[in-house]
Amino acid sequence: MATNPSTMRHVRGFDVVRPLSITVMIAVMLPLVLLPLASIFIFGTSKGLASFWAALNAPEAIFALKLSIVTSFWATVFNVIFGLFAAYVLSKYSFWGRNAVIVTISLPTAIPTAVAGFALLLLWGPYGLLGRLLDPKGIHLMFTAYAIILANIFVTFPLAFGVIKPVFDTMSRSLEEASATMGASRWQTFWHVTLPSLRGAIVSGALLTFARAVGEFGSTILVSGNLASRTQTAPLYIFAKFNEGQVEAANAIAIVLALFSFVIFSILFFARDWLDVD
Amino acid sequence: MDIHVTPLDFGKAAVTVLGLSKTFGKVTVLENINFHVDEDEIVVLLGASGSGKTTILRIISGLEHPDSGKIILHNRDVTDLPARERGTGVIFQSYALFPKMNVAQNIAYGLKIRHSRRKEIRATIDRLLELVHLEEHRKKYPSQLSGGQQQRVAIARALAYNPEVLLFDEPFGALDAQIRARLRREIRALLKQIKVPSIFITHDQEEALELGDRVAVLNSGRLEQIGTPFEVYSKPETEFVATFLGAANILDGFVDGRRFESGEVVLDTEQECATLKREAAKLVVRPEDLFLRKPENLTQKYQKLADGVIDEVSFVGAFERVIVKMELPDQPAFVVTRPKTETAAFPLRAGQKVTAGVVRFRILKNPKIQKLGQTKSSATG
Repeated sequence: MATNPSTMRHVRGFDVVRPLSITVMIAVMLPLVLLPLASIFIFGTSKGLASFWAALNAPEAIFALKLSIVTSFWATVFNVIFGLFAAYVLSKYSFWGRNAVIVTISLPTAIPTAVAGFALLLLWGPYGLLGRLLDPKGIHLMFTAYAIILANIFVTFPLAFGVIKPVFDTMSRSLEEASATMGASRWQTFWHVTLPSLRGAIVSGALLTFARAVGEFGSTILVSGNLASRTQTAPLYIFAKFNEGQVEAANAIAIVLALFSFVIFSILFFARDWLDVD
Repeated sequence: MDIHVTPLDFGKAAVTVLGLSKTFGKVTVLENINFHVDEDEIVVLLGASGSGKTTILRIISGLEHPDSGKIILHNRDVTDLPARERGTGVIFQSYALFPKMNVAQNIAYGLKIRHSRRKEIRATIDRLLELVHLEEHRKKYPSQLSGGQQQRVAIARALAYNPEVLLFDEPFGALDAQIRARLRREIRALLKQIKVPSIFITHDQEEALELGDRVAVLNSGRLEQIGTPFEVYSKPETEFVATFLGAANILDGFVDGRRFESGEVVLDTEQECATLKREAAKLVVRPEDLFLRKPENLTQKYQKLADGVIDEVSFVGAFERVIVKMELPDQPAFVVTRPKTETAAFPLRAGQKVTAGVVRFRILKNPKIQKLGQTKSSATG
């Protein structure tokens, strides 16, 4: 019989292992995670809050933040709705090639984002498979905000699906059957019974997708063209300003993005109980 | 119900199941099932897991479609209607209460779907909460209720839209023994009060006998016997029914001219199946219908079965259980249960010689062919 060693061990008096292991853990995290984050705030505010505000209020900076939020918002809307739909179809029906579809949906997480951007160019670019057909009609998706949304959709594709699908799978089939025997149509059952049970998964899936999309860099830089005040998102702005040597400008936006991620993951962490509350 | 559009007439039956058959792949789950449930009647489908009882319930509610056969609810053929147009009330094993709705919302659901008026919905909720004694739990969520309370919500929720029939899928399966005994009495009383036809499914014979006005015994997709609890227990028609409902001692032999014979055992019988023609038959004796006496000391009121030697005596609470090795070919071990008055008057110990007498017994003639010959002859054996 396997016995959990920690419940077996009896320690008299002071247990050295406890403070020691906590210290080691933090010591490892410090240079790798905590200090890089801290340095953003230390440098960003080193010249005073006034210059931080000025850097943040630059028109290009405001545009970049707005563009990031808008493109991420639409990518989130699409991926949550589609993720919900795909999860519903894949856990309700079994069909030939079902597993292949599940693997394909999850694939974008494993693909380098630069490859994702490149792939989008090869499809939608002026000489791409589909872009070549659209180009003569005057439709140009690449190097516009639409390209950024497409890139965001691609790289965050599996996130909402990945959160919603397991909830669907573990949901008792008898809830839907009970609803049907009580006279509800499929749509009524979905709306009144299935959807409320998915509330938590939908909210956390949306937050994850949005957070990931706001931070997207690799694919965006390839498909957007990185044109200031036109197709430059916040991460691209940081990169551009840093290249131009304007470290404060880059730093101000970096602080905003770091705080933003911090807030979203705090919500995900602390609101888990609230999201799943009956 | 409009009688002019329905040429069917199934009398006062609330539910009629006609020639129901169902296979899943190559497995036959149901084979020509026929029975009906009267208005105000409780019918219990009793069978082991895999006997097809759940499938019958799912077919009646419309969650499953039969390969052949018909389901008639109050003279309306619903066989081809989807679940939501049948108006049955299903109480699922796990109750399937909607977790994000409170008690009142759960009860209101069926009426909300039917677009009933708000005033009417509120009145129904009030009436049903009072009926199932959950007035003070109106705003609670299912996870805050005990198993028994959840079950009452499930019943109230199904009653809200005046169902054609209530279908209970092993409703006491998730509860512990003491609670289930109390709950089934409560539910039976409730159903008798509100007079809604009901079908229960269970694998628990005690539960079936206590709950049902009639009990239908299922065995591998076939309906072996349906009758009142007294009938299925005292007058089993097949060996399966005899042994599934309570314990039974079985002896192979023949019927011949109002007599049952097996080796030296000869018993007179009034049972209608005993004809003048010599035919294979089985004797069924309940443990409580066997009486043990000192050798050759039987009184007139018993017929002698055989002599035997006590093998084991065990005390099991309300009565004593005795295993007797009968002095018959193959020395079958018969089980005898004795009430306290008997054990006090005539104490027994292992190794003692006794004579076993019977008062009541049942003869099964050609045990399986008799009931099922018309459906499938290969089923014997």
